[in-house]
Amino acid sequence: MTTTELSASAIEMAPQSSSKSGGAYLLIGPAVVWMTLFLVVPMAMIVYVSFWTQTTFKIESTLTLASWRTFFASDTYLSSLWTTIRIWLTVLAATFFVGYPTALFVGLFVKNKTLQTALLVLCVIPFWTSFLIRVVAWRPMLGKEGAINILLMKAGIIHQPIEALLFTELSVVIGMTQIYVVFMVGPIAFMLGRIDPNILEAARDLGAGFWRVLRKIIFPLSLPGVVVGAIFVTVMVLGEFATSAALSGRKVNLLGNIIVTQVGSLKWALASVVGVILTTIMAIVIAGLLLVVDLKKEL
Amino acid sequence: MAEVPVLRLEGLTKLFGERAALDNVSFSVNSGEYVSLLGPSGSGKTVLLRAIAGFETLQSGRVLLKGKDVTSRPPYLRDIGFVFQNFALFPHLSVFDNVAFGPRNGAQPTPEHEARARTLEMLELVGLKGFEDRAVHQISGGQKQRVALARTLVIRPELVLLDEPLGALDANLRLRMRGELRRIREQLGIPFLHVTGSETEALAMGDRLIVLDSGKMSQFGRPSDIYDRPANPNVARFLNCYNVFDGSIEGESFRTAYGSFPLGQRVASAQPAYAVRYDRLKPDGGEAGLPAAYVASEYLGSSIVHFFETPDGKVIELEHHLSNGPPDSYSPGQTYRLAWNADDGIAFG
Repeated sequence: MTTTELSASAIEMAPQSSSKSGGAYLLIGPAVVWMTLFLVVPMAMIVYVSFWTQTTFKIESTLTLASWRTFFASDTYLSSLWTTIRIWLTVLAATFFVGYPTALFVGLFVKNKTLQTALLVLCVIPFWTSFLIRVVAWRPMLGKEGAINILLMKAGIIHQPIEALLFTELSVVIGMTQIYVVFMVGPIAFMLGRIDPNILEAARDLGAGFWRVLRKIIFPLSLPGVVVGAIFVTVMVLGEFATSAALSGRKVNLLGNIIVTQVGSLKWALASVVGVILTTIMAIVIAGLLLVVDLKKEL
Repeated sequence: MAEVPVLRLEGLTKLFGERAALDNVSFSVNSGEYVSLLGPSGSGKTVLLRAIAGFETLQSGRVLLKGKDVTSRPPYLRDIGFVFQNFALFPHLSVFDNVAFGPRNGAQPTPEHEARARTLEMLELVGLKGFEDRAVHQISGGQKQRVALARTLVIRPELVLLDEPLGALDANLRLRMRGELRRIREQLGIPFLHVTGSETEALAMGDRLIVLDSGKMSQFGRPSDIYDRPANPNVARFLNCYNVFDGSIEGESFRTAYGSFPLGQRVASAQPAYAVRYDRLKPDGGEAGLPAAYVASEYLGSSIVHFFETPDGKVIELEHHLSNGPPDSYSPGQTYRLAWNADDGIAFG
């Protein structure tokens, strides 16, 4: 009796629920159309174009591996690939080591929610100026006669200006770290703010000192924030070209700079090759980071 | 020579701005004792517990553990266990790793094999053998409570503080955990200080009972003494088993808005009031009494509570234990004289 009733109601329910989810699918329709037209199709095009035949003045849709061979046979391109990876890892580490303590302070030690928000807004203030101004502003800071050298010399710490500060890999790393550190601080501070203070008190009550609590409780619980922050920084640094152009005096060539140069000289096929390589690296890194933490659990 | 109490509090005072959350609180807990700390919400009972554990800084007063002053020690060097109301389990660790956290990360390092052995032993004691690998979000509320308890007990603290440990459990489980708590404590012999807002829980659990009111200690004694002879009208109100009347002592009687009652027992108190237990009221006889209209009854299983109302709206409760015979029947709206023996009344003042 009960079973029949149940199955009867299940049959009644079924079409209703399927029509409901059909309506729900309509909701993401515009987004799907938009993303297909302006993301999926262009990306497929880039992969396709990377196999086209490039001559000095024109490009033909005859398929060839020539551009791929050019990339992997050239020391310039390969060294730019390694430079990109090196700078990305350095900036990732720098944003983490600068960002984590900041996030720890804002997310955990500032108890007042208003002050917490105010401090996070403070981190975003540099974004009120344009990206290029933020980058170029580093020149008078880092230059041979820049603010840092003047201060250090006035203080008597150095006698010769440090020339390595500007137009080197170091200046690119400094610039990028400053620009992107906030994308590390935000997600970490958010995760830290969600930790129940009682949990930290419980750990201390069980005999754990500050470093133990940080290592065994706070860090593991903030890991999803670190992963999200790392994804943000990775995506932005791997695609960078402006900071390296402005702060390295064109000495540091990232894959992004290569794309800009190639597109500038209408070498679409080679630019596409670099684009595909860059996108692949990003995809691998993001997939790897997502393996570290089960983000589904946090949402 | 008297033994040194495990915990001794001397004049604990904690101010939040102008308001005193703790006002000169002093008492001691002896080894093997189960002390209940009862107070309404906002009475400062949680602050007191947190101050003992070291989570709150005090304006004045000393906390002594086994005779040693630990007032300025941080929580992780105090050897005091704390069981949080919301359990505060580490969400990223398994049941086993939660319990093993103390031995593994404590102030004195424990070898891993010993940490494991102690953890297993403790999980068995609280009845969680076989749950070692579960994540803490995969177990029930009662099991979480046991994990929290095991996690605290495994570090072998001198004293365990429990902050409303049963508050997050449903009524059925609460009764079972009461028995469990007692059994575990007796097995280990560690003194427990149990904070609760429930008078039945406090009376049932404690060898001794402390009543806290607005940051001050109102009474400290055996549960039966406190139940039979509350120290002041607030304690009587909070025990939830007394009808309390305002008024004043005039000669040999206590004068209230409902008439004058013979003094009965006298308890010195700054606040004058007259109290008589629900279960000492009866519908006739007695040397003292007042008229009130019957409203409704509540059946509690072993007893029945009848609610009456005085003309000015004060609710009077009469509890009838069913072992004393079937309950009387009353008609709603009709006025009865509720009476009691003079000896059963308590006159504060």
